[in-house]
Amino acid sequence: MFRIESDRARFREIVRGRVRQDLRKYLMTGELIGRAGNTAVSIPLPQIELPRFTFGENPKGKGGSGDGDGAESQDGEATEGDGVGGAGDQAGAHILEVDVDLDELAEMLGDELQLPNIEPRGVKELDSTGGRYNGVRRHGPDSLRHFRRSFKNALLRTIASGAYDPTAPRVVATRDDFRYRMRTACPEPDSSAVVFHMMDVSGSMGREQKEIVRIKAFWIDTWLRSQYKNLEVVYIVHDAVARVVDQHTFFHLRESGGTKISSAYELCLKQISERYRPEDWNIYPFHYSDGDNWSARDTELCVSMLRDEILPRVNQFCYGQVKSAHGSGQFKKDLDGALGTEDVLVTANINDRQDVPEAIRTFLGRGR
Amino acid sequence: MRLKTELPTALKYQAVIVESAARAAGLDFYDVVFEILDAADVNGVASYGGFPVRYPSWRFGMEFERLEKGRQWGLSKIYELVINNDPTYAYLVRSNSLLEQKLVMAHVYGHADFFKHNLWFAPTNRKMLDAMGHHSVRVRRYMDLVGRDMVEGFLDRCLSLDTLIDPYLPLREHSNPPENRSAYTPASERARRALDAMSFSIVEPPRGPDTSSTRDAKDALPTYDILGFIEKHGRLDGWQQDVLHVVRDEAYYFSPQRMTKIMNEGWASFWHSRLLTGGLLDASEILDFADCHSGATSCPPGQVNPYKIGIELFRAAEARGEDLFQLRAVHNDVSLVHKLVDEEFAMRVLRPIVVPPGPRAEGAPEPSWLELKHWLLHQLSWGGLPQIQLVDVNAEGEGELVLVHHHDGRDLLLARANETLLNLSELWKGPVHLLTSLEKQGQRVVARDGEVTVHEVSAPESDVAGEPEGPSVQDVERREVV
Repeated sequence: MFRIESDRARFREIVRGRVRQDLRKYLMTGELIGRAGNTAVSIPLPQIELPRFTFGENPKGKGGSGDGDGAESQDGEATEGDGVGGAGDQAGAHILEVDVDLDELAEMLGDELQLPNIEPRGVKELDSTGGRYNGVRRHGPDSLRHFRRSFKNALLRTIASGAYDPTAPRVVATRDDFRYRMRTACPEPDSSAVVFHMMDVSGSMGREQKEIVRIKAFWIDTWLRSQYKNLEVVYIVHDAVARVVDQHTFFHLRESGGTKISSAYELCLKQISERYRPEDWNIYPFHYSDGDNWSARDTELCVSMLRDEILPRVNQFCYGQVKSAHGSGQFKKDLDGALGTEDVLVTANINDRQDVPEAIRTFLGRGR
Repeated sequence: MRLKTELPTALKYQAVIVESAARAAGLDFYDVVFEILDAADVNGVASYGGFPVRYPSWRFGMEFERLEKGRQWGLSKIYELVINNDPTYAYLVRSNSLLEQKLVMAHVYGHADFFKHNLWFAPTNRKMLDAMGHHSVRVRRYMDLVGRDMVEGFLDRCLSLDTLIDPYLPLREHSNPPENRSAYTPASERARRALDAMSFSIVEPPRGPDTSSTRDAKDALPTYDILGFIEKHGRLDGWQQDVLHVVRDEAYYFSPQRMTKIMNEGWASFWHSRLLTGGLLDASEILDFADCHSGATSCPPGQVNPYKIGIELFRAAEARGEDLFQLRAVHNDVSLVHKLVDEEFAMRVLRPIVVPPGPRAEGAPEPSWLELKHWLLHQLSWGGLPQIQLVDVNAEGEGELVLVHHHDGRDLLLARANETLLNLSELWKGPVHLLTSLEKQGQRVVARDGEVTVHEVSAPESDVAGEPEGPSVQDVERREVV
């Protein structure tokens, strides 16, 4: 490979520095969400350019005649073609998309918000599917034959038997000489986690409130994904009734109607008991609402469900209260009042986007 | 790891055929060495400006990232790279079809002929491949000595200024070498210089701007070769001076390519088309050739495609009975466009670029052919860059540099200019003034101690800012012809 790889690595280092610098900004906007793939997120950055004297229109007023964009002529003789003509010759606002691994992004998030690593809860079954070829044995398939070991044995035997002639070295391996690589199991702790995102989609949750939820959910997923090898996400929406939906629906649904929070908790609990046994899973329910529950009686029901059923089974239960124009925000007060002493319950107020990073820190800062 | 770059036999055979056809047609070139690479490696070489080795810089990495994205998304594709060098090196892309390789080879021989015979390339270093390697070693050595961040920062500063050279200087010096320089330096002397350059001391005291050096400096003015001026008269450490020298050397090497982009590509396209349709193509390849050729020479509105304009210029010249070989030897883009573009050419080739097709808005201005010609000349004059001259040093006793932007109707992008000036001021270790005008109002931009201030002044004399419509053709000519 040409030396370009080291220049590319240096460039990426600089880019990562930029992303790190701008992380707070990304934490408050949904910019990255649509850009996340399975393992990486593609971040648009203005091309980092060396300043040079160029023609151009200054922000106010009009510039000179002609289109004065000093087309940066490419050094060398690069023939770009294929019907697009001299693609890449326009100067101006170049946007460069740079891929950053989600793991790396999570690491930056961790650094920025000083998040501790999570210690998985309880004793987990050991996952024995992993393994390494670090042993040698006498039998095995040809595909695992260890050529060097086999040859060495054959050579040793040939020399020992006196059949070796240095002027005409010929070594014939027999069945006994062959050695094969052997896999030894390296048990890894099983670390599966499930995240429940529950959102209140009653009439009082507007576009902005949903956007905030969306941003939070993205970063929380990113972080937990870096902590657990296997992360599942369940999306639940509720107004007066709750149901499980897919990701797209979760973020785009607009409902109206009353709010019965217990319906969501009930559904969450059902999911936990049916699909995610607490012995096998690290469980993270997140609930977002504007805090306007339908009735005090329902809130009581929620509190008792949390205390008796949910909190004992989960790593942490997070309630984020998003401020809306209509919400009274009573629910958080009720929760704090009734369950404030519970370690596993974390609540946070989110007034606007500015509060998102802080709320993420509140939720994830305990390393649970 | 060494890459396998040797041509497969079938292509070697084609290269011989294409070469003999090129020579028979009258093209003349240094030996051409073809190497074949995978598309990603070609992008790597392209990011290095066509060379296999350059000094380390994130800038090349960024360019690579851009080219790779373009390739992976199918937006752009590099067919070939040619290096102006003796022997001339050219890189082919392994994934190209046989027809594409033939076309590219013919194209390469066109470039190779142009490099060898065009006047503007005469002063360029024909052993640049080696020189780039040496530059790389030197810069790497300085990184080991003083640290990567130091050298990288300094390099970025120099690169930001690498357009501040005099494109006509090499040719001037080439045709009249300074008297006091002996035409021949003995090998022992060259060896001594080379050794001196390597055994510099990093604790060499920076040279202060004493009065005598200021007087020497003034003798060199006015000059466009601002990089050269700073290399000579700036207060730089040994390694800094050498890094600046490397940047300047490479800037001068690439400068003729900027000045002859249209001619160079036009000449190569003219010949690949002529050679291939003149017997090198199999009948079964004609359609693919036409597709490939028209892709390279397509010219959507708003984009100046040098392939298209260049090939049209040479075809127009041929139709008029001009001596093409002489044209390619003595002109650059500006003088060739000035000589050849007439009303017919402007309306046929340039108008579709400037005026988008489709129904015209009522009362939209219709450019005259002269306006079209001026528009193109504008794009090309001074390599498409702002013309900035160093006119005075230490005029106010602060050791400051005074630069004048020769305004041609187009304003500088001020935000960029400010940053660039700061870099210059940092490099010079003193204040730098730039006289320019914005919206016809004279401005003095001063960079001092990391800050930029802008003052309104009356327009600097010796300037064309008074002309509302930019330079006339005569103005451009006066400046372009040495």
